Amino acid sequence: MKKVKAEQKKLISFTVNGDDVKVEISADTRLIDVLRNKLNLTGTKEGCGIGECGACTVLMDGKPVNSCLVPAFQVEGSVIETVEGLDKSGELHPLQEAFVEHTAIQCGYCTPGMLMSALALLRENPKPTREEIARAISGNLCRCTGYHQIIAAIEDASAKIRLSE
Amino acid sequence: MTKTKWVGTDVTRIDAKDKVCGTLEYMSDLSFPNMIYGAVLRSKYPHALIKKIDTKRAKELDGVVTVLTHEDVPGLNGFGIAIPDQPVLCRDKVRYMGDAIALVGAESKEIAEQALELIEVEYEPLPIVDDPEEAMLDTSPLVHETGNIHNHVKIERGDVEAAFNEAYVVVENTYFTPRQMHAFLEPESGVATIDDDKNITIWCGGQHPYRDQLQVARALGMNPRKIRIINTPAGGAFGGKDEITVQIYLALLVLHTDRPAKIVLSREESVIAGMKRHPMKIYMKTAAAADGTILANEVRVVSDTGAYASLGGPVIGFAIEHSCGAYRVENVRLEGFCVYTNNGVAGAFRGFGANQVTFAVETQVDMIAEKLGMDRLEIRKKNGLRKGDIAALGHKMEASVGLLRTLEAAENSRLWQLREELKAKPGAPHKKRGIGIACSFQGCGLGKGLPDYGAATIELLPNGQFAVGVSCPEIGQGNTTAFVQIAADYIRCSIDDIVMLSGDTGHTLDSGTSTASRSVYTGGNALKLAAGNLHSAISTLAAEILSVPESDIDIEYGSAVSKSCPEKTVSFKKIAELMVERGKTIKGEGYFIWPVSETELEGYVGIPHLLYSYITQIALVEVNTLTGETEVLEAVSVPDPGKAINPQGVEGQSEGGVVMGMGYALTEDTIIEEGITLTRNFSTYILPTSLDMPCEIETIIAEELEPSGPFGAKGIGEAVCVPISPAITNAIHDACGVWMKQIPATPERVYTALKSKEVP
Repeated sequence: MKKVKAEQKKLISFTVNGDDVKVEISADTRLIDVLRNKLNLTGTKEGCGIGECGACTVLMDGKPVNSCLVPAFQVEGSVIETVEGLDKSGELHPLQEAFVEHTAIQCGYCTPGMLMSALALLRENPKPTREEIARAISGNLCRCTGYHQIIAAIEDASAKIRLSE
Repeated sequence: MTKTKWVGTDVTRIDAKDKVCGTLEYMSDLSFPNMIYGAVLRSKYPHALIKKIDTKRAKELDGVVTVLTHEDVPGLNGFGIAIPDQPVLCRDKVRYMGDAIALVGAESKEIAEQALELIEVEYEPLPIVDDPEEAMLDTSPLVHETGNIHNHVKIERGDVEAAFNEAYVVVENTYFTPRQMHAFLEPESGVATIDDDKNITIWCGGQHPYRDQLQVARALGMNPRKIRIINTPAGGAFGGKDEITVQIYLALLVLHTDRPAKIVLSREESVIAGMKRHPMKIYMKTAAAADGTILANEVRVVSDTGAYASLGGPVIGFAIEHSCGAYRVENVRLEGFCVYTNNGVAGAFRGFGANQVTFAVETQVDMIAEKLGMDRLEIRKKNGLRKGDIAALGHKMEASVGLLRTLEAAENSRLWQLREELKAKPGAPHKKRGIGIACSFQGCGLGKGLPDYGAATIELLPNGQFAVGVSCPEIGQGNTTAFVQIAADYIRCSIDDIVMLSGDTGHTLDSGTSTASRSVYTGGNALKLAAGNLHSAISTLAAEILSVPESDIDIEYGSAVSKSCPEKTVSFKKIAELMVERGKTIKGEGYFIWPVSETELEGYVGIPHLLYSYITQIALVEVNTLTGETEVLEAVSVPDPGKAINPQGVEGQSEGGVVMGMGYALTEDTIIEEGITLTRNFSTYILPTSLDMPCEIETIIAEELEPSGPFGAKGIGEAVCVPISPAITNAIHDACGVWMKQIPATPERVYTALKSKEVP
């Protein structure tokens, strides 16, 4: 039998949605593979595999990244946040609530990545203008909604978060 | 109309919470123990004979479970909605770069992909045909032995020549439209399992589970009952998942290995192998009288369906049906060809041929208005279809016609009213602003001569809730939420008491496709009939409980009531308890068959339609005269969906449609040169982003209730992306005086047009 090329494995440790995890990876494993295949966090979606569509957006040390472009070995020691962490308290995050209220969702495949880009924006800029919101999600393609209801939802969520603080 | 509690309100999408939490499982999110991963070997040439396929080395690779070729397809080695002319796995010939030759199942995706490289295929390349008009010549290489013209439509009415001679104005042009890609964000993907009795279950985003079942069964030579298809949910489809994608490959893998299998196409593979919108070359000669009455229209369309038919035949028929726009035109000569080439494959795509011809005819109408010095809205109102009118194919507009309502609402919109003011303030001296308007109609349903039916089930559950089943899949458009609203108002219960079943041959009856702007109308009508039957069953038991005759029972929200003695009531919950106690079931099924036009066009199926949705859209653009770039600043979208079951959902469709139609008008084109796809991912296939969309999209819902529809509803999923494209190109003309006859109106094309205008 012909053998497949021998793979070198490596163990990495990092935090996902507040939990410490240890995962075995190969040199070519991507962050999205770790999340979806090793940790069963399938909320993060793959749409293009080349960092163009943003469906796989997660936060790495607070910054939005395309998890299809991040080699897993770079994740060692970092803090990763995915869509599954948003309602960890048991309650929907104001962004999630606003997306539901505004029907900022159709097929929903871009939604997790969209939410993560929005989360990063609101942490950095609690009172963004519509223009700033549009810019923040410009790396997240949506083929269904035309973006308006999404922008309205993010605007609404930012107001609600400010009110509750 | 019946009073409603849920229909017409902004009910929250039933799948919203799962979607924002990331817990909704799309098909590629599913995994099973002992699952293998599939990969498809695609052709190396756009047109070639296959001399030899050798899978030996691939089979020897450690971790490879199976390598399948045409020899392993037990049934018919072909698929295709209209005719099964696309091989599942090619035997002797490939016709485009997406053609599948072999299928690998392996322990991992990586191994499967590695194995593909070890399959040796010997080809004998053939001359390719990549120009549809050349493909029509006798001298052209043949894509199929049957000839390169797959479908030819020719319809004549009245006296076109006489009308052209009498006309005050005649405009004659040739238009070109691009190969738009659906670009659903979830690539084609799915999983399948097989049990000890060889029953196969396939989870794959799709648009018609029962037809998938038929196509899989046919390829496997199996009884369809042994195959269960689950199509809901899909991460977008837009027509691009109407045809078979990976269903048959999944079935072959599980059949040959007795293990669960998964296939997820990469974006590049999806782009190369998947469906597109038909590029069309449209010749159009339109005549009008001095008062703006459209007298005649001559149309010749050549449509590039690529290597296989899929729905290319019906698409050219639909294009011809819509090629005179939503207008009365008495003299027509309409001809369409659907032609095979080696350019990918084209099939169903939101709009189904209306997009291309609407771009042409709506430009023609603007040109006529300009020549006559007539207002662009007035000429549309003057010629626009009204109920009872005879449309271009000679068929009577028998159902509701909301065109004028949409035109009038558009006229009263802020954007149209303030157009001169808004145009007067461009962002810079070298930028010019313009306003464009366009309208269209969109046939709903499959059209005359095609079986078009729906079915629905409603069952009272032991806990007092209702299981509601309609098979038309949820592809993102929100039809499951609409069905919940419609069902709740027909059953007369709370939306919270409905458990929705969708897109599953195992749990729903065949209700046809989620295409053709048909699912809400079809499913809704079937639900109405099902609810009637359910009410009879409820009444029987309620009458017994309340000791009144069955005829005395009335159904109110949540309970059955005695008409003669209104204090006698019994709740659905109580009825459910007694149903369980007595070992009974209470359910209703509804079967609905579409009404069709009285007009029959001999030799054609799928045209004409009886029911249409209508729409008017307006765009405000700003053209940079130094670069040719066009920005859409604002848009107004006025759809007539009949009754809007969920207005917020209609707004979402409308906004998404505007942006999709904007992409079609300005940036989107799958470029294929000599059979090779050049735009293989989103880096070169340019979709509109949040920075490109208009800052304002105002949706005005102009409801023209359709008496035959559920609560007056028709369908609106497609029309919303159609007239916006010519509204944008007409706005470019309004801004800087150039007619765009080819879309997308890229900066290069607009700039070139501007420059050639400057040449005296």
